[in-house]
Amino acid sequence: MKKIMTLAGFGILLAISTSTFTGCATAREAVNNKSGAQIWGENCVRCHNSPSPSVYNDVDWETIGMHMRIRANLTAVQIDKVVEFMQSAN
Amino acid sequence: MKKGIVMLLLLALYCVNYSNAQDNKPSKTQFMVRGYGHSGLDFVNVNGDAESSYVGTAFAPIFMFKHSDKLMFESELEFALEDGKVQVGFEYADVMYIVNDYVTVRAGKFLLPFGTFMEKLHPAWINRLATKPLGFGHGGIAPASGIGLEVRGAFNIGYSKLNYSVYSTNGPRLNLGVDEPEEAGQLIFNNFEDNNNNKAVGGRVGLLPFNNSSVEIGGSFYTGIAGNEEDSLYGNVGAALFAGDFSFVKQVPFLKGIIDVKAQFTQSNVGKANYYELEPGDSIPTKYTFNNQSQAFYAQLSYRPSMLDVKVLKDLEFVGRYSTLNTPEGSVWESQQTQIAIGINYWLTWRSVLKFSYQVTDIVGGHDAVPGESTKITGMYAHWALGF
Repeated sequence: MKKIMTLAGFGILLAISTSTFTGCATAREAVNNKSGAQIWGENCVRCHNSPSPSVYNDVDWETIGMHMRIRANLTAVQIDKVVEFMQSAN
Repeated sequence: MKKGIVMLLLLALYCVNYSNAQDNKPSKTQFMVRGYGHSGLDFVNVNGDAESSYVGTAFAPIFMFKHSDKLMFESELEFALEDGKVQVGFEYADVMYIVNDYVTVRAGKFLLPFGTFMEKLHPAWINRLATKPLGFGHGGIAPASGIGLEVRGAFNIGYSKLNYSVYSTNGPRLNLGVDEPEEAGQLIFNNFEDNNNNKAVGGRVGLLPFNNSSVEIGGSFYTGIAGNEEDSLYGNVGAALFAGDFSFVKQVPFLKGIIDVKAQFTQSNVGKANYYELEPGDSIPTKYTFNNQSQAFYAQLSYRPSMLDVKVLKDLEFVGRYSTLNTPEGSVWESQQTQIAIGINYWLTWRSVLKFSYQVTDIVGGHDAVPGESTKITGMYAHWALGF
């Protein structure tokens, strides 16, 4: 009986950890697959209207990106993608 | 001699070419000036006494110097016309270093991430109304900036995102009421030179539970000794502040526009202390004390029909805000304030807005009030704000 319980416990643990890791992997993929345009559309508007990429030049976007990374609490991946999008759409 | 001249000409040509080539290469260091300004016309009526004036005319340049991909300096000054004088404010000046993807260090005078209003939403072109909510600005209970050191960052946890900030600053200073007896017990946040050896500690954690970043829930704290070190009466008087903030911003297709909800609750607790007040006709000051707890709250809803096809309509924005401020019972500055503000904005560009608003503030108490009487302040504001 004890063995069955132990095996069942291990099975449940394995199932939870597998689903968690699969879930994490799916979530990580969903986050990583987001485009710079999507992140720009979702995050700038949290405080102010979203700026057009043509408002600043490519070099200016680097500086503004660094400023906004801190001010808006964006992750490194997010700000890299946004800056890349602004530069490519400029 | 001829050879020498030819060599010099070749050298000059090389230098010109080299310099041109350098001009075409983007520099790693960058200097930018951004900022905002605003101006407007205010009509204010206090218990029937009406006043109107052109106000504002504030200019707030932000200087940003990107030294490298990891190091940056930024500073904001604010020039404003107040009380017939040009007031210059030193909003912040800090250097920041990106240690890695998850950690950034800031040092200097920085906007405190205590709640979200003062750090992110107060600039005139971002604040949807012409005025700040109760509890912020002059006589407010929430700190705006501090001098010290901060560690902050953001990272993903599954679909969610977490951001954090931990900082140490000089902390608040206790107003003992020596120069301003009517403000005894208030906290002064402009503590440029620390009044004690205790350093205040604060922080904020923000959680964005959804992958589309539409919702953010935050919690902040800020605590330290506020009394003067050498003062035996006030040396141990501490202050502990807490704030909770909420934000929801999302384009809602069936409403054909963007819904923006912001809210913040702030509570300030200051240790018990005795203060002294000289009543008219008395020669000896009277000692008094009170439970030094203040609370402020605001909730704001705005809607912009940005998905409509008609340009004039899609550039409009409708705003409503409710805010309250309760200051300690028994203090000279005791008051219960309630404010309702409504407004219509017209966005000329993404960063230039015309704001028209109407606001009613009911105040019971306050240091200029007649005991038992309330004050009603109504205001109409027409402001133009521009981010640049």
